[in-house]
Amino acid sequence: MQTRTLRSKLTIALAVGALTCVVAAGAIAQNAGKSLIGKLEGPEVVSDAAKLPKAFKEAPQLAELVRAGKLPPVAERIGQDPLVIKPVHEIGKYGGTWRGGFTGPADFWNGYRCCSGPDHLLFWDYAGDKVTPNIAKGYEMQDGGRTLVLQLRRGMKWSDGQPFTADDFVFWFEDIYRNKDLVPTPSATMAINGKQGVIEKVDTYTVKFKFPEPYYMLPDVLAGSTDLAGQAWRGAYGLGSYAPAHYLKQFHPKYVAQAELDKKAKDAKFDSWVRMFFNRSDWSLNPDLPVLTPWKTVTPSNTPTWTLERNPYSVFVDTAGNQLPYIDRVVLTLAENLEVINLRAIAGEYDFQARHLDLAKVPVFIENQQRGGYKLYLDPGDYGGDMIIKFNLSYEADPEIAKWMNTTDFRRALALGIDRDQINETFWLGTGTPSSVVPADGNKYNPGPEYRKMWATLDLKKANEMLDKVGLAKKDAEGYRLRTDGKGRLRIEIMTLGGQFLQFTQIAEMIREQWKKIGIDLVVQEVDRSLAIQRTIANEQQLAAWNNDGSEHLFTFPTHVFPFDVLAVVASSGPLYAKWFQSAGAQGKEPPARMKELMAKFRRAYGVPEKERIQLGKDVWKIAAEEVYIIGVIGMGPASMGVRVVKTNMGNIPSRQYNSPDGKTPTISRPVTFYWKK
Amino acid sequence: MLSYIGRRVMLAIFTVWAISILSFAIIQLPPGDFVTSYIAQMASMGSVVTDEEAQNLRIQYGLGQPIYVQYWKWMKQIAEGNFGMSMEWRRPVTEVIGERLSLTVVVAVSALLLTWLLALPIGIYSAVRQYSIGDYVATFVGFIGLAVPNFLLALVLLYFGFTLFNAHIGGLFSPELQDAPWSLERVWDLLKHLPIPALILGLAGTAQQIRIMRANLLDELRKPYVVTARSKGLSEPRVILKYPVRMALNPFASTIGYTLPYIVSGSIIVSLVLGLPTVGPLLLKALISQDMFLAGTIVLLLGVMTVIGTLLSDILLVWIDPRIRLEDT
Repeated sequence: MQTRTLRSKLTIALAVGALTCVVAAGAIAQNAGKSLIGKLEGPEVVSDAAKLPKAFKEAPQLAELVRAGKLPPVAERIGQDPLVIKPVHEIGKYGGTWRGGFTGPADFWNGYRCCSGPDHLLFWDYAGDKVTPNIAKGYEMQDGGRTLVLQLRRGMKWSDGQPFTADDFVFWFEDIYRNKDLVPTPSATMAINGKQGVIEKVDTYTVKFKFPEPYYMLPDVLAGSTDLAGQAWRGAYGLGSYAPAHYLKQFHPKYVAQAELDKKAKDAKFDSWVRMFFNRSDWSLNPDLPVLTPWKTVTPSNTPTWTLERNPYSVFVDTAGNQLPYIDRVVLTLAENLEVINLRAIAGEYDFQARHLDLAKVPVFIENQQRGGYKLYLDPGDYGGDMIIKFNLSYEADPEIAKWMNTTDFRRALALGIDRDQINETFWLGTGTPSSVVPADGNKYNPGPEYRKMWATLDLKKANEMLDKVGLAKKDAEGYRLRTDGKGRLRIEIMTLGGQFLQFTQIAEMIREQWKKIGIDLVVQEVDRSLAIQRTIANEQQLAAWNNDGSEHLFTFPTHVFPFDVLAVVASSGPLYAKWFQSAGAQGKEPPARMKELMAKFRRAYGVPEKERIQLGKDVWKIAAEEVYIIGVIGMGPASMGVRVVKTNMGNIPSRQYNSPDGKTPTISRPVTFYWKK
Repeated sequence: MLSYIGRRVMLAIFTVWAISILSFAIIQLPPGDFVTSYIAQMASMGSVVTDEEAQNLRIQYGLGQPIYVQYWKWMKQIAEGNFGMSMEWRRPVTEVIGERLSLTVVVAVSALLLTWLLALPIGIYSAVRQYSIGDYVATFVGFIGLAVPNFLLALVLLYFGFTLFNAHIGGLFSPELQDAPWSLERVWDLLKHLPIPALILGLAGTAQQIRIMRANLLDELRKPYVVTARSKGLSEPRVILKYPVRMALNPFASTIGYTLPYIVSGSIIVSLVLGLPTVGPLLLKALISQDMFLAGTIVLLLGVMTVIGTLLSDILLVWIDPRIRLEDT
């Protein structure tokens, strides 16, 4: 109970804090929002052999070490095939520190998003649209989509100077991934249609991912935020598709006697060798771990300051041959309270910060721009829902509610009862877009412009007519619709979570007022995160408010599109249907025909070439928008990590960047190219 | 006296054991476990933990086992001096707490000293000069101090510190010195950051202590022995300080039992708002993320401190007030 009271006190404290700031700022920027959104731009990976730099330069302190004989020359460190990046604006200068804030060891994403490079084998162009080479120099689909051949970079090194080769893939696959203690359940991303694939070495710099059935999606999977997406992201869980064999062998029972290993673990106070192994292969915790990322952890993320320093063996290079990154160090200081982070950002104590900054404070950020020496940018996402409302379609606890939630016209009527403009003005300062769930118009899976407003406008008359027609015409004295089983008013609960990037509870309260006009009684329940998860797993929640960030990458981030997995982060749109989907019909509950059609198209898309896949993706969105499994409220908004504060003398800062979990924003803008102008 | 203390110590040990069971049980009460809250936390930060991963984590942390097995394992570890590994920080619990404990004590003790330095003289003054203008002012300020929630005060001070004085926001150190080894410069930096937290933390306590001191002293001042002392011609300061004040101090001594744990955790919200690297926010986070061993150890620590504090105040009372008799001496 102590937790609860403390948290409610805390909520009050934070609410008061937010209020003070807003009041203090006055009515400066009621609608300045839209003008803060710039043009999407970003750096590019150069693969054209003719354009590659011939000679390399390095940071002065590294040159110093080379002269002292403590480091090999820069060309030797980078190897023959550098990863060349054309900065968005200009060639930069070496030096300086980048200061930011993080909230503790669980805020892994913070350092990961700034400093990991990324170390994915493949990645995206700056628009988050096309797969580009990254750590792997090139890739080719062979054998009708069953084999992916990856070329590695010749002479590339780990951060300790040891060569990075195909053996590191074989070590990961054979000794980590296939070790039952380390990875008890194999990853779904390493399988197609439930059949696991294998990784094979072709030669020192070539590896093969082989699958029993066509897996055309694999390059996207390697580029996205998946289990195969590199060491920094997944190494701490025994995943990632490669690992530093020369270092990790000393912690692995295949190479060290079990007794000796157990003693080692016990001496270091670990419960088991497995925990020690994961700790040692954790990018954010172990400064000794050899990495491929441009910066490496120096003081770990479980100390008051998470510091990262340049990797002297970084394979990243600009078009003039300067080894990247330009900035020497990244220092993230611990602030356990988001208000402190926001206030520090306003005071100009951070050089580049987007995480944890609150959209509601945009006026205050603008007011203090001069004084703090920073500029405010907004990066709206490409996903259709900064806020969405999920129906639990497999709900069973109350058959009457379950029946209505499974009635398409009921869902559509509720969607028509939301005044999105009011919500957009109040909570997004007008920077979002009233929208259905479909992604931005430029997205390759967008089904067409007519779907943007489908069942996503305010039309009370039509909504009331539809509700009357489906059989909810009877109302009580206060104008609320009555249940058909005679048990009084039709009350629907919406589950919201506090302390998120957006004030879901307050927005839900506004929707509650709006739905009064269509005779629907909405009960808003803010719950603790753990409770939300418990309820979802128990199939007890009715409606839930969340966002669908990441869904613009439909196939690598489908969790908020349809009942894809049981948990769906915190609330599924149908846990039993998700179970049915995951188990290919063996468990759970069979979904209705239209949803089955959606699921079949989704599944098929993994094994077909891109052109066909795009069509299937459009079909998936069409069904999702027509059936309103999920109500879209406001989309393409900057609420989730899209409020960015950057020092004015930092260079190569895009005026707008692709904002998404898959883009690991700002990594999509290649922070290795950021630099200090003076 | 010795047997009295001995008996108290025995009782204290039993109480601590009961507290350990209670604290472990309390931590298990909220729905879910560390893995659920870990998933939730990851979710709120935009990443996804798959069902398989969640299952693996439960196995690794031994969360599937019955509560009494987990408790037994914890107790066995503690007996070996190992308080377990913090799940969230992925470091030994002792290390995580130890790092913050010294700073916590510095902050709390300075707040406490400030409280007493202000409360005692003002309380005495208020009582002796009852209904004077000074008393009214002290009462007024005191009630405001009691009524204003100190986290609000913290927020307001932070904001004005930033807008008017360009002060560094929150924390106990400047960023440059955050990780520096201890030096004169770092101590000076700490001293510069200390007044605001000490003032905020001390204020509510000060108001309360002023009221207590005033009320107690007023009671004492009206007693016949004071009149007698005056009639015997004792100087006024001596009359007041030697006897009534000494009597009025009893409540101060008896609150030490609560003061000790307060030193560790009494300032959770304020510490959070001010971004202080103390134990309070650590406890809050551990409870929210259901980091069993960390939360359990802190709660246990608080229990132990309450018990020790009570013991100390019992002994102190006997020492200050000879009228208190021990049953078996």
